[in-house]
Amino acid sequence: MGMMEKIDVQAEAVAREYLTFRLGDEEYGIDILKVQEIRGYENPTRIANAPHFLKGVVNLRGTIVPIVDLRMRFGCSQAEYNSFTVSIILHIGQRTIGVVVDSVSDVMEIPVEALRPAPDMSSAIDAAYIRGLAQVGERMVILLDIESMLTSPDMGLVD
Amino acid sequence: MAETSMDSSSASAGIDLSQFYQVFFEEAGENLEQMEQLLLELDVTAADDEELNAIFRCAHSIKGGAATFGFADVAELTHQMETLLDKLRRHELTPTPAMVDVLLQSGDALKAMLARHQGSGGAEVDTTELLFNIRAMVSGEAPATLPTARAAAAAPSVPAAAAVAAAPAAAGAPSTQPAPTTGQRVVELQVGPLSNPAQADNLLELFKEITDLGQIEALPNAPELAGVRRFKVSTATPESDMMDLFTFHVSREQVRFVAFADGAAATAAPAADPGYGFFEPEAPAAQAATATAASPEAPETGYGFFDNAPGAPQQVVPAAAAPAAASAPAPAAKVAPKVDKPAAGGLEASTIRVSVEKVDQLINLVGELVITQAMLAQNSRSLDPVVYQQLVTGLTDLDRNTRDLQEAVMSIRMIPMSTVFSRFPRMLRDLANKLGKKVELVTQGEATELDKGLVEKITDPLTHLVRNSCDHGIEMPADRIAAGKPEVGTITLAASHQGGSIVIEVRDDGKGLSREKLLKKAREKGIDAPDSLTDQEVWNLIFAPGFSTAEQVTDVSGRGVGMDVVKKNITSLGGTVEIDSAEGYGMRVAVRLPLTLAIMDGMSVGVGEEVYILPLSSVVESFQVSPEMIKTVGGSGRVVEVRDEYMPVIELEKVFDVPRFDWEHNSGIMVVVEAESSRVAVLVDELLGQQQVVVKNLETNYRKVNDVSGATIMGDGRVALILDVASLVRRSRH
Repeated sequence: MGMMEKIDVQAEAVAREYLTFRLGDEEYGIDILKVQEIRGYENPTRIANAPHFLKGVVNLRGTIVPIVDLRMRFGCSQAEYNSFTVSIILHIGQRTIGVVVDSVSDVMEIPVEALRPAPDMSSAIDAAYIRGLAQVGERMVILLDIESMLTSPDMGLVD
Repeated sequence: MAETSMDSSSASAGIDLSQFYQVFFEEAGENLEQMEQLLLELDVTAADDEELNAIFRCAHSIKGGAATFGFADVAELTHQMETLLDKLRRHELTPTPAMVDVLLQSGDALKAMLARHQGSGGAEVDTTELLFNIRAMVSGEAPATLPTARAAAAAPSVPAAAAVAAAPAAAGAPSTQPAPTTGQRVVELQVGPLSNPAQADNLLELFKEITDLGQIEALPNAPELAGVRRFKVSTATPESDMMDLFTFHVSREQVRFVAFADGAAATAAPAADPGYGFFEPEAPAAQAATATAASPEAPETGYGFFDNAPGAPQQVVPAAAAPAAASAPAPAAKVAPKVDKPAAGGLEASTIRVSVEKVDQLINLVGELVITQAMLAQNSRSLDPVVYQQLVTGLTDLDRNTRDLQEAVMSIRMIPMSTVFSRFPRMLRDLANKLGKKVELVTQGEATELDKGLVEKITDPLTHLVRNSCDHGIEMPADRIAAGKPEVGTITLAASHQGGSIVIEVRDDGKGLSREKLLKKAREKGIDAPDSLTDQEVWNLIFAPGFSTAEQVTDVSGRGVGMDVVKKNITSLGGTVEIDSAEGYGMRVAVRLPLTLAIMDGMSVGVGEEVYILPLSSVVESFQVSPEMIKTVGGSGRVVEVRDEYMPVIELEKVFDVPRFDWEHNSGIMVVVEAESSRVAVLVDELLGQQQVVVKNLETNYRKVNDVSGATIMGDGRVALILDVASLVRRSRH
């Protein structure tokens, strides 16, 4: 029943649940319904001549899944791989894609009215992929439209 | 590459089709079930085009198979059904419930025919009436006239019908005879003992909902059978089918069919007429009197099929009915056990059809198991075998068992293309004879292994393509000679692995496609087809539903259903169809399917820290080189001399931009590979070994990568890329 209620809430777009994670000093949130699982980072198999943020592909229980390092995509100053580094496996349309982040922080419900539009500015992320900025306590969470971002042509993830 | 050819004019005694019968029966069974379901769901008042097309395709597939295997009766009936369905989907006729009934009955008849062909016995199925009805509907007779048509249709076959009617009546007499289980009949249905007798009322509802099931009415409870509900059922449905329906409401063990004896009279006066009042108005007075006296319900129980039938039956009735009236004892008292299986229920399969998903899941699980096993083996290597003897033995067993298991699971899915190809020689021979053409079939690459799921799904489309080639492509012998071609046409079936896909080609050297004809036809069909279309776009027009360029509709092809089905099936597999044609020279249809799961023999090679797989089939040889053996041409082009032949060198390290940490190490191994009839030498660091690899598609979640045809998972769980040799060879040319 809980699931049903969640979907109803979803449909009314009153509040959505987001998975938040850290990239450097910034905190991002993505729609939890897109998340399939969270795994520790494992070394992927490199793909030649791919964009620098595509770390390669890994074997996820028999399927080949590409891994994108979001930190490199967003131009974070450093991207190191330690015991906190995780891959978030996402379900984007018919595809399974993994993204590497510094650490996963929280699952939180953010009401629609708490969203503020992102101002026009130059950044590594096209404003079109930012759903909004949300103030949660002291923190600012950047809510990403991860699906449009990963399927956009400049990611080069899809043909 | 194995090559066989078959001359259609020579006898093909060596080909045994019976190995494919089972496949046909299974497919036909599935198609019938699907058709029945679709028919039952069909909303007559607002029939959906897609549904009608789907029903049509079911009938078409059965027809195709039946014709291939020489089941003329099945092919004939399906052909008529198809004609009717074709008119429906073209909106030349409006569907009526009567049509649905007839189609459903035809489906039942087909089931019985198939069961008979499958060897489960049963009488010859008489389809005269069905065929007549369908033809009547096709010619547009109003449904209102149907009953007359029906009766009239029955008239020519009255002896047969009467015999059928008489047989059960006579059979009812000696109680040792098994009660009839098929055909129009009246049986007593006993349900129980039930804790809640009202449960059985659901059956009454069931009959209300499924109108062609027959008629049911409740009988008074018999005192000697406590908790058992009794019903009188007049039906033509086989018991097994009824049983299947009943089990939604009551358990199978609680349902019994017994020969019908009128309840009220069961103990006192045995039922004289078990309700076969087929010809009531004409029935002799004595018979009628007995019937009414003994069982007041008799008049309703009969199906007044031939109420208005012309006089013919009258002579038969008294003869058949009188003995029944005279000698029928109470069959209910001694319930005759039913031994003979109903024919329609006999579509038994000796194999289990399992969904591809389940097998996929199994394969993935086994893959995981193998990887876990490899990890355990790796970690246990440092253990002292003396101390951990049992553990080490166990791990060795595990190793062997997982490998056997993996092989067994893989073998479930992989079958060579020859299983598909070998269906065609006979089909083509018969087809060519029928059409008066001379055709030779050449098959190539039959050893190419293909996933069973794909094989099953590709068979129908291929059948259509081959039929189309023979029917539309290859010209009559005289025309061929006139066109300066050999008298015997050639149809080539070729399968191969190409760049991560399986390509199956159907080629013919017939007349090819005509651009003008296709455009003209398309416009007739109301398809927007400007002259500016490219050839490729024009060829693709033939995939439109209902599109056919054949001037005449034959039972071979010409309804345009073939290409529609082909495209649909292949697209649903994630594949593509390409057509190439030159008018006067022939046509080539290439079906490209993704390698979702194909096994390949691979050679793993190491470059720096990375591992790549070369398809073993393309590897010619390998040897060690020293740097001075590699010469340059024009400064940058590098070549190596192998046995008096210079071939281009491809440095994998450069192609894949492999990072080097170990600068002292040099690539020192050349692997000579061949593709598209040219050879190149691939420079690698080391050869790691040969193994069977499961080809995974990179495009499922990512995209096409240059020079890579796919990926595989190695024993340690890591992904290794499979090289696309053809693309490497092309690279050397630029």
